[in-house]
Amino acid sequence: MSVAYEPITGRYLTIEVAGRPVRIYIEEAGQGQPVICFHTAGADNRQWRHIMNDAELTANHRFIAPDLPWHGKSLPPEGFEEEEYLLTTEVYVETVLKLVEALELENPIYAGCSMGGRIALQLALHNPDPFKGFIAIEASDFQPAWYDIDWFHRPDAHGGEMGAALVSANIAPQGPAADRWATQWMFMQSGPGVFRGDLNFYTRDDSLVGKLGGIDTAKTPVHIMVGTYDMTCTPEDARRTAEQIPGATLAVMEEIGHFPMSENPATFRPHFVEALAKMG
Amino acid sequence: MTNTLAARFTEMGQMLAAKPHLLRLGALFSETLLIEVDGNEYYLTFHRGQLERVTEGPSRQTPWRFALRVDGEALAKFWEPVPEPCFHDIFGFVKTGRGRIDGDILALVKNLRFFKEFMALGRSQEVSA
Repeated sequence: MSVAYEPITGRYLTIEVAGRPVRIYIEEAGQGQPVICFHTAGADNRQWRHIMNDAELTANHRFIAPDLPWHGKSLPPEGFEEEEYLLTTEVYVETVLKLVEALELENPIYAGCSMGGRIALQLALHNPDPFKGFIAIEASDFQPAWYDIDWFHRPDAHGGEMGAALVSANIAPQGPAADRWATQWMFMQSGPGVFRGDLNFYTRDDSLVGKLGGIDTAKTPVHIMVGTYDMTCTPEDARRTAEQIPGATLAVMEEIGHFPMSENPATFRPHFVEALAKMG
Repeated sequence: MTNTLAARFTEMGQMLAAKPHLLRLGALFSETLLIEVDGNEYYLTFHRGQLERVTEGPSRQTPWRFALRVDGEALAKFWEPVPEPCFHDIFGFVKTGRGRIDGDILALVKNLRFFKEFMALGRSQEVSA
């Protein structure tokens, strides 16, 4: 009798980010064209598990999904206990570039959702060279908060439970219940203050505004994807963003919200297949 | 319309009573809430997660912990079996300017899942998210 293991494997490596060593957990599946996949704020690489368990996709793609430091199974840096976690664009970008280098990925496709999608645009503008192309999911140039992010981290409320109950507003009702709840579970598990710290840069860094025209999609394609039920990055936000990038393409996904890969994997799949094809 | 809504909230309270997971989530929730629809006031009094009574306003003497104010059309869309985007969640009311939430927001966030799932019980074919 053989064990029905999933094809996903997990490993750890340590890289240096912002002058400090950080131990990163990555999951990997498949072979062929590397695709490095980044999760949303307040969650972890489990958002990508359905793609990584897809035998047709892994037949010719090597998917690598890290947990960012402070997320999932990647520990925060030493000394975190006295720090206020506030993610910045610079630290996120450095983390991605150091991972690509450490993993010796050749010409990887970058795929990221939400804040990972925002970083796709940052990389496409400022650091496109290591990449083949960018899949920017639920991505926009800037998204000011329509809620007070400090609610996500305070001693008299459970940030994980309230965070999950809030982000459920960004999940479409059509997804399978098991997948919608698994998506929320990651937020319930998120470390204290992590979701708030992620949103710090996501809701405050407007450095891409007015600069997206500098992205060269002839060199590195940019494909933006957005779900119609996403109230954080709405289809209008994604369209506004795509229209500023000459040559960028846009897919509007029906019956999907802010967490396409995990909230409704079957509906997301054909859109992601199309996105991969657009990367050349 | 107002009587219909009061009856609907009462019916939602009966549905709540049959949901053990919601009663567990709301076990520490003993508050009066104001739901205002098209300017009509409904005071919903919960005790340990059970909806004890629904009282129609107007009232200036009924204390409430937090309030959800929304227009009737938006609430009706929220209660569709599969609501359209921006009407699928109470925060959609806020995002689109069709409603607002005020009062003791801490009490709301501490009981956010409970309150959102209670409000979703008004759907003719419940979608629990």
